[in-house]
Amino acid sequence: MNAVKVDKVLKTPQQGGLRQAMAWLHTWSGLWISWLLFAIFLTGTLAVFDDPIGHWMTPEHALEEAAHANDPPLPKVTDRAHRLELALDFMAKEHPKADMWEIWPVQRPGHGLSAYWFQPSGGYGSADLDPLTGAVIEHAREATERETIGGHHFVDFHYELHAGRIGVWIVAITTMIMLVALVSGVITHKRIFKDFFTFRPAKGQRSWLDAHNAVAVLTLPFQFMIAYTGLAFFSDDYVPAPVVAQYGMDNPKKAFLADWNDAGKPERIGQPLAIPALESFALRAEQAIGQEIRAVVLDNPNDASMRVCMYGWNEDTELLMRLSANTGRACYALATGEQVAVRLPGKSDTGGAGLTRSVMSNLHMVGFGGTPMRWLYFFCGLAGTAMMGTGAILFLVKRRQKAGGEFGAYTQRVYRVIACLNVAAIAGLSIACVGFLWANRLIPVGLEHRAGWEVRAFFGVWFLMLVHACLRAEKRAWIEQLCLLAALCLLLPVLNVLSTGDNLVAQVVRGDWESAGVELGSMAFGLLAGWGAWKVHTRKEKPARKAAAKEGPAPSASLQVTTEGQS
Amino acid sequence: MINTILCALGLSYAGMASLSLAMDRHHGQVWGRDAAPNVRRALQLAGALLLALAIWPCVAGWSATVGVVAWLGFIGAGALPVALLLPYAPRLLLRSSLLAAVAALAGLVTFLR
Repeated sequence: MNAVKVDKVLKTPQQGGLRQAMAWLHTWSGLWISWLLFAIFLTGTLAVFDDPIGHWMTPEHALEEAAHANDPPLPKVTDRAHRLELALDFMAKEHPKADMWEIWPVQRPGHGLSAYWFQPSGGYGSADLDPLTGAVIEHAREATERETIGGHHFVDFHYELHAGRIGVWIVAITTMIMLVALVSGVITHKRIFKDFFTFRPAKGQRSWLDAHNAVAVLTLPFQFMIAYTGLAFFSDDYVPAPVVAQYGMDNPKKAFLADWNDAGKPERIGQPLAIPALESFALRAEQAIGQEIRAVVLDNPNDASMRVCMYGWNEDTELLMRLSANTGRACYALATGEQVAVRLPGKSDTGGAGLTRSVMSNLHMVGFGGTPMRWLYFFCGLAGTAMMGTGAILFLVKRRQKAGGEFGAYTQRVYRVIACLNVAAIAGLSIACVGFLWANRLIPVGLEHRAGWEVRAFFGVWFLMLVHACLRAEKRAWIEQLCLLAALCLLLPVLNVLSTGDNLVAQVVRGDWESAGVELGSMAFGLLAGWGAWKVHTRKEKPARKAAAKEGPAPSASLQVTTEGQS
Repeated sequence: MINTILCALGLSYAGMASLSLAMDRHHGQVWGRDAAPNVRRALQLAGALLLALAIWPCVAGWSATVGVVAWLGFIGAGALPVALLLPYAPRLLLRSSLLAAVAALAGLVTFLR
């Protein structure tokens, strides 16, 4: 290759104009995050149904619930005044020094009585009390009870990768790059309206590009929203400077959150004051906010500055109608009995900013609109997942037609690494997700730290799939992993029959759509994976050059990678 | 609630199908020729109208705030099957979207009360 020719074919991003520069940015920023983002999106999509998955993963509870499904509803609690007194007695005896007592007098479900306080060591302490005697109810875990974190695994993995604060930051940076990739992708895609509905199947690279564009463009509002609200969720972590500027360096976040969540918290005065009966305040609060009382929070107990705040329950029908999940709240100064603050359900006591914040996080967690909205999020989330997957695959499909030579002599080796990561991140992670459900049934019930072993199985399976992907040729690796995925997904109901004796028909008959949904969903994914394996298996390897010629002028002009290589 | 979902989904699907058939490439997939200018206008107008109407069941079934979010979601969900059906079964797209439009428009009556 001579110098003149290099001059002609090698264009730097700067020479190609904005669209070329954005294509370069989109390709390379997108590629490196696509694997992690695929994992975050797939688990986040599953997290939409964390409750049903958790329900499936605790079959003992599920079967017990089913046995009591036709019991008459529990009678409404009529002795709340008595319950409040029992809880106050308990707190006065056991935790008199705590400066916050929290009582849930009609805990749902089951109408229990619970008390909460801040431990001197930090963190929440809690106790369940007998609503008739006030005695502490000890919860010894039964040997037959399956210890699991259930569907919450997917929630936790999706925002912190089970790695605590470091994980939160890794997800944050990935999400930030995703926004970069979304914006640069939109600029790059110059036929965005012309190609709006375009999908041309069985055309190799073009089909992958069409699929990538279609799922991204058609669900673009959702993808922007979910990435943006995900960042906004942790804004006080990610952009701490404003908080520090306002509150100083000395534990600013705590002061900020105290102000944010509860601006009117009183200071201790030091004069003693007896705690009055709280029931009358609960009744007043119910009048003021129009909700049944969920939590009674007593600040500075036995001090003249004492204040009680009453929080309401959000009923399901209310959350159907509201974007904000804030409950109602009414506060009273107990020295005077005066109402000092009231917040109506769905409103905010920190103004527009506070409401925006709570709406943003609720938008992300789909805490509104009920089950139909969850399904909408599920499908849009799957489209996002497909966007990551098709993007990662497209990168290699394109370079199989014509190597880019981006890494000089190492190019083929880097492509090989990318191919391994593609298989392990897409098929491998999917196997790990369904493997997590398998682990739930296969790990012995009485095992110590059982929940931890389920999560370890998830990571273990994922790692094995990475090793497998590295050891096998790319096409074989795809076929084998997709086949394994299909088998695990399709056989999940069989595993359930063998391990618990419960089956899909019985679930449907007793109306347990949560369990049935998990198994039917799994089977749907299994069929999809089987179809994918079959497609890879029957794919004909066309000679690269001929295929490129047949495709004609690539629509991918819009996604041209600028370093055109040493052809 | 099921009424709300079917109505919103039917209207967004039919709306998106109509918008796609107004484009020469997709018009050709169904009828084998480009759209006449007035046909294209009509299809675009019908599509926009159907999509706009889809906001009605959303707001009536949920609320003004939640309904708008749901509407944006349904529009995306309605467009995906259009993109998938066009290459594989363009005739089916035409028939099913006509059916969806008629059924969803009829369903709108239930929100009149």
